[in-house]
Amino acid sequence: MTRHDRWLVWLCLAPTVALLSVLMYYPMIGTVIESFHQTSFIDPEPKFAGWALYEKVLSSRDFPEIVRNSLLWTVGVVALQNAIGLGVALLLNVGLRGQGILRALVMLPWVLPGVVAAILWRFMYDPQLGLINSVLLRFGLIENNAAWLADSGTAMAAVIVAAVWKGFPFSTLIFLAALQNVDREQLEAATIDGAGPFRRLVDVILPSIRSVVLVNIVLTTILTFNYFDMVWVLTRGGPQNATHIFPTKIFETGFGQFRFGEAATYGVFSILVLVVLVGLYVLLQRASAERRRTA
Amino acid sequence: MKRTTLAAMTATLLAGSPAVAQEVTLQFWDNQQTESGLSEVQQAAVGRFMEENPDIAIEVTTIPYPEYQQRLLTAVQGGNAPDIATLDQIWLAAFAEAGAVVDLEDRAEEAGLEREAFFGGAWDSAAYGEGLYGVPFNVDVWQFSFYNKAMLDEAGIDPATLTTFEGLRTAAEAMTGDGKFGVGLFGHKGEDTVVVINSFIFSNGGRVLDESGACALDASEAVEAMSYVQELAEFAPEGILNASSGDMRELFLNGSLGIEFWPALEQPTLQKSDIDWGFVSGTAPEGMTPVGTFGGWNLAVFESSEHQDAAWKFIEFMVREDVNGDVVDLLPANKAAAATFLEANREGPEEIMTHLENAMPRPLSARYLEIAEIQMRLFQDVLSGAEVQQAAEAACDDIDGLS
Repeated sequence: MTRHDRWLVWLCLAPTVALLSVLMYYPMIGTVIESFHQTSFIDPEPKFAGWALYEKVLSSRDFPEIVRNSLLWTVGVVALQNAIGLGVALLLNVGLRGQGILRALVMLPWVLPGVVAAILWRFMYDPQLGLINSVLLRFGLIENNAAWLADSGTAMAAVIVAAVWKGFPFSTLIFLAALQNVDREQLEAATIDGAGPFRRLVDVILPSIRSVVLVNIVLTTILTFNYFDMVWVLTRGGPQNATHIFPTKIFETGFGQFRFGEAATYGVFSILVLVVLVGLYVLLQRASAERRRTA
Repeated sequence: MKRTTLAAMTATLLAGSPAVAQEVTLQFWDNQQTESGLSEVQQAAVGRFMEENPDIAIEVTTIPYPEYQQRLLTAVQGGNAPDIATLDQIWLAAFAEAGAVVDLEDRAEEAGLEREAFFGGAWDSAAYGEGLYGVPFNVDVWQFSFYNKAMLDEAGIDPATLTTFEGLRTAAEAMTGDGKFGVGLFGHKGEDTVVVINSFIFSNGGRVLDESGACALDASEAVEAMSYVQELAEFAPEGILNASSGDMRELFLNGSLGIEFWPALEQPTLQKSDIDWGFVSGTAPEGMTPVGTFGGWNLAVFESSEHQDAAWKFIEFMVREDVNGDVVDLLPANKAAAATFLEANREGPEEIMTHLENAMPRPLSARYLEIAEIQMRLFQDVLSGAEVQQAAEAACDDIDGLS
């Protein structure tokens, strides 16, 4: 690439970089600056507070709960969403009749707006009128109506299930694309060598799509960690903080209580986690590119 | 030369022309809580105002209740606040403290708008520090106990007994069973949870904050009331920690709930339903008067408005006796307008008036939203069976620790 070409590349990238800087990096840096200032709606003049807000947040009763919940929520959703997504992708890849219609149907939860999906699940989880209790009671799986979203013991599992339902088609879509690139000759060779479906999956398919799986796990981790609407509509972080995660806490503190400095502090913790995840994503992408180059 | 002559002619024409009305356009924001077609009736009233004041145009923006707070907050922070808006009673202190709204005390005094013309609790909710930062626009009170007459008859309960703690508990117990529930308590993270449990506390002589501004939720009156609510929860549907007044309404309307707690704004919904219903005003211990929690909205003028005089004219118009009843979807804050409105639109107007007169506002604090958040956590703990005194003391530590 000549010097002139390099300039041309940067010139072409400039609008995007400018847009990203204004829309992403400026607010992000602003959040970090705000986290060192005491500022709220009633006292909008920022006062430098040093680490005071960090100390306040770290020593609050809520913080350990939010960290634990965020971890549980992210791991739960990502693990289930990817496992189900891979399973469904494998099924949709075997050449069933009506596969096109099935693929479209599978995508439905993903194309539904998040708030609509959450309201739907809220209805289904309703202790008295919801579909879930009605089915479970009919099949004798529960004796009394269960309050899935109102019980601290079941609320997190309930929101995870709803989020997995909403999100697994995304993983299916990605895995399906990867599965279609698996070398047919390798699969046939494995079949001739006597490998059954499980061995073909473990020895041929998974190694072939390994990099896509890893990248997808990192991507869904980022998306899930930031997922707000499902939890907010279903429980608003309750009951008793049982489903409060970083995004809901940030929203509640900033827009519910007008404490912008403290909300920014929670935001910074959130950014730190995301920086690690994005770093992981970049490393995986590089490793994947390197593998392709050397293959 | 030509330019000078033209400018001079223009100046002469302008100076000599008859006074041309300088049209002012005011932005008025309100929220809608019911399906009352509020925006249409407000547009009609605005038309009337503009006929009376041809030099002032009003642009009404009606925003759904769930989005209203964020929209207002963002507008104020971004310097795009409307000229006038309705502010929830519980937000007004924060807006006043932030310097976002204008002190209207002098204007109100000059116009002869006095506390006596409005419900006292509503007027007090507009006062903050030494000033008056709003004029009461609409009001309601949490809560009335709406009951299913058939369920109450079947249980052999006299509705009049629902006004006492003991009577309500007996009725709730008698109506619970066979897939039906006695009482529609709810405890989700929402302001409706706070106002309902507050009313039990107020009715038992308790307070959220005492006169010095310190937390009073750990005082015996408040603790007793919360213990009572904890016992009452036994006769409520499953899942109340994630249930709202809206969820209880669903159960009430399908006939599986004996008593639901709502303000008077519930009546239009019930009037359209097949349920044979009645209501009593709140609940208190034997021999005490039920005290409800005030809810409602005040009209405020924003500091950023360039047309504060015109905005004030509009406020005066909106709270006038002959207008106030037409432009609210709760109850008019103007007492005379409320009496007429209730007579025409609500069952039991006298009971409602009395309950409004007795109602108490929530703490008039600029930190109210934080206090309410702590209260929600406390009430969820109480409804989950926590030891009430201990939970209340922890909540008071948090409230008193707000800085």
